[in-house]
Amino acid sequence: MFTYFVRRILALIPTLLGVSIAVFLLLRLVPGDPARMAAGLDATEADLEFIRRDLGLDKSLPEQYLTWLNRALHGDMGRSTRTRNPVTYEIGLRLPATWQLTAVSITVAVVIGLVTGITAATRRNSLLDYGSMVAALLGICTPSFWLGLMLMLIFAVQLHWFPTSGRGDWRHLVLPGFTLGAGAAAIIARVTRSSLLEVLNQDYIRTAVAKGLHERAVIYRHALKNALIPVVTVVGLEFGYLLAGAVITETVFAYPGVGRLLVDSISYRDFPMVQGILLILASQFVLINLVVDLLYGWLDPRIHYGN
Amino acid sequence: MFEGLVGFNEKMEMQPMLAERWEASPDATTFTFYLRKGVKFHDGTPFNAEAVKYNFDRVTNPDNKLKRYSLYRIIAKTEVVDEYTVKFTTSEPFGAMLATFAHPAGGIVSPAAAKQGADAPAFGKKPVGTGPYKFVEWVPGDHLTVEKFADYWNPAQGAKVDRFIIKPVPEAGTRINMLLAGDAHFINTVPYAQVKQLQGNPNVAIAANEAIYTFWVAMNTQKEPFKDKRVRQALNYAIDKQAIIDSVLAGYGKLADSPLAPRVWGYKSVKTYPYDLQKAKELLAQAGVSNVKTTLWSSDSTEAKQVAVALQGQLKEVGFDVEVMAMEAATLSAERFKKPEENKSMMNYAGWSPSTGDADWGLRPLLSKESWPPTSFNLAFWDNPEFDAQIKAGLQTADPEKRKAAYAKAQEIVMEEAPWIFLWVNTLLGGISTKCDGMVIQPDGIAYLRTGYFK
Repeated sequence: MFTYFVRRILALIPTLLGVSIAVFLLLRLVPGDPARMAAGLDATEADLEFIRRDLGLDKSLPEQYLTWLNRALHGDMGRSTRTRNPVTYEIGLRLPATWQLTAVSITVAVVIGLVTGITAATRRNSLLDYGSMVAALLGICTPSFWLGLMLMLIFAVQLHWFPTSGRGDWRHLVLPGFTLGAGAAAIIARVTRSSLLEVLNQDYIRTAVAKGLHERAVIYRHALKNALIPVVTVVGLEFGYLLAGAVITETVFAYPGVGRLLVDSISYRDFPMVQGILLILASQFVLINLVVDLLYGWLDPRIHYGN
Repeated sequence: MFEGLVGFNEKMEMQPMLAERWEASPDATTFTFYLRKGVKFHDGTPFNAEAVKYNFDRVTNPDNKLKRYSLYRIIAKTEVVDEYTVKFTTSEPFGAMLATFAHPAGGIVSPAAAKQGADAPAFGKKPVGTGPYKFVEWVPGDHLTVEKFADYWNPAQGAKVDRFIIKPVPEAGTRINMLLAGDAHFINTVPYAQVKQLQGNPNVAIAANEAIYTFWVAMNTQKEPFKDKRVRQALNYAIDKQAIIDSVLAGYGKLADSPLAPRVWGYKSVKTYPYDLQKAKELLAQAGVSNVKTTLWSSDSTEAKQVAVALQGQLKEVGFDVEVMAMEAATLSAERFKKPEENKSMMNYAGWSPSTGDADWGLRPLLSKESWPPTSFNLAFWDNPEFDAQIKAGLQTADPEKRKAAYAKAQEIVMEEAPWIFLWVNTLLGGISTKCDGMVIQPDGIAYLRTGYFK
């Protein structure tokens, strides 16, 4: 298990190198001039030349990449061409905000998703089942943009329960957390229901019921744990996506997270910033996948991380 | 936070700020400013001629890589005459110099603070100016906080609230909700499509202010069919501008009767092309132009796309089959700034606000030969020696009357030759809580907050 862990961590290195090369090349394929974006419409060609030299954009591509890589390996990701702040400083400001929001929304998603999914599966074909699955369908289909503005209108503008937007105490996390969590909750609910239903049809469940076990014990001790593997996969994936920043929710709630920073940086052609953010996002995603893989073993002892 | 030697009020009129008065030499090469006495920076150090010299030496030194180097590089020399007199010498005559000092980038920072922060990374610097509010903190992407400066030199115009917290909120619906919920007291801006949401609510009001933006469609005058002046004039007659103002801008705009907006210094009301399909068709027939296929570039903002589609529909009436290409901002600017040989621009919907508020910056970058892409923003690739001569004349002198005369003539030439379809000057809409007053959006689009107060 330990060697497996080390191997997976080492595998991060080629992944990140690949990501950084791909991002580097893609950014330069996109039309748009970082110097023009930094200097504004009314800058002269001489200013642009000056900025290009300053940003090192006048050098060849391999030279630019190696310079960047060399600095990045020394912990210097360069400076934002937009704010002129160091990339690591700007990302450092946003990451905790994104982590907080992700923690809240994944909690919302898992609690609502599991409860709805289990309820629906155990009351199969009842009104409750249909109701919650329709709700889940709506949850998947509702654009977070609309949901966010509606929640804001009701709970902030009308009822004044929560602030409209921004970052601050826990109250600032409720509306964006729910907006973000709603979609994931719906997916988790559906996966939980179908996976649990499949398990409930197995022979060992029938045996457990036949030997007179209480319904609760059957579901929570015998069925649920076996039904959880696909659920964990989905939760892990959703978690990864949420960590990559929720651009729309962050924009609607003016929340200073990584997603908004990434999109702003792309539209501004802020190359150093985009490269820095994507590297960090890629590392997070790979690490989450690793955690999910390790969880499988805990849930199902038959899974081995062998050599 | 910062003030310049001169500045603009909320109507874009120039006002004395840190300089009480000034003189320019007749040939527009030396500019002398007599500074206000008893002004203090937020860090307590005194404001004087040395401080001014330090600021302009700093921005004119290319090694400092300051963003507005190009704006001030024309200053060859800054001299301290005495403690409260400072003299600038430019490398060539530059009649628009005064307006350049009024540009937001002309704000004077405390030399002591700037020296201290010289080695610190940008985020470590505390901006220190002379304005009624001083810097408290900036968290990028989240907020900027400023607070009242007790020792402000002009108590009558000093801070009326203790603190401003300024937050970037990209989504208009969110800004409006913040205002409605009382989480914000002022928002910049309210999109025209959402005006109705604020009207009729007793707690909020619209703070409208006429802009110095003019909007237009540049036609590539180096390519057919736009080489012919009659074609360009015909398209001016073919567009019902008022109908677009009433729909897309909710009525918040007026017809452009010059390439400059009325609040730009040097503006002259020349004429408008009335909506007249008959005349448009006649002119096109005279020019022998029919069934044209061409492209119209615009940004991909909602408003720009609505305008572009409206233009497309109206141009169809006179036999122009226009393909609208709405592009993302960076892509659009990359396409627009290509060299003339590679530039595929035919028609371009755009707007411009001269950040110095002066006719020179409202005309030269857009219409003079020297401003063809990639150098600047002459998207019409217009080349008119007569016009260029007037622009030059306007820079050769600092005499306001002579300058005005030159720019008046320049504007007349533009309106007659019609390198653009002239559209409108818009009004900028802020949203304000009825608990407050004194805040609007400046004609150049920046929020004007310094006079804000609670009723």
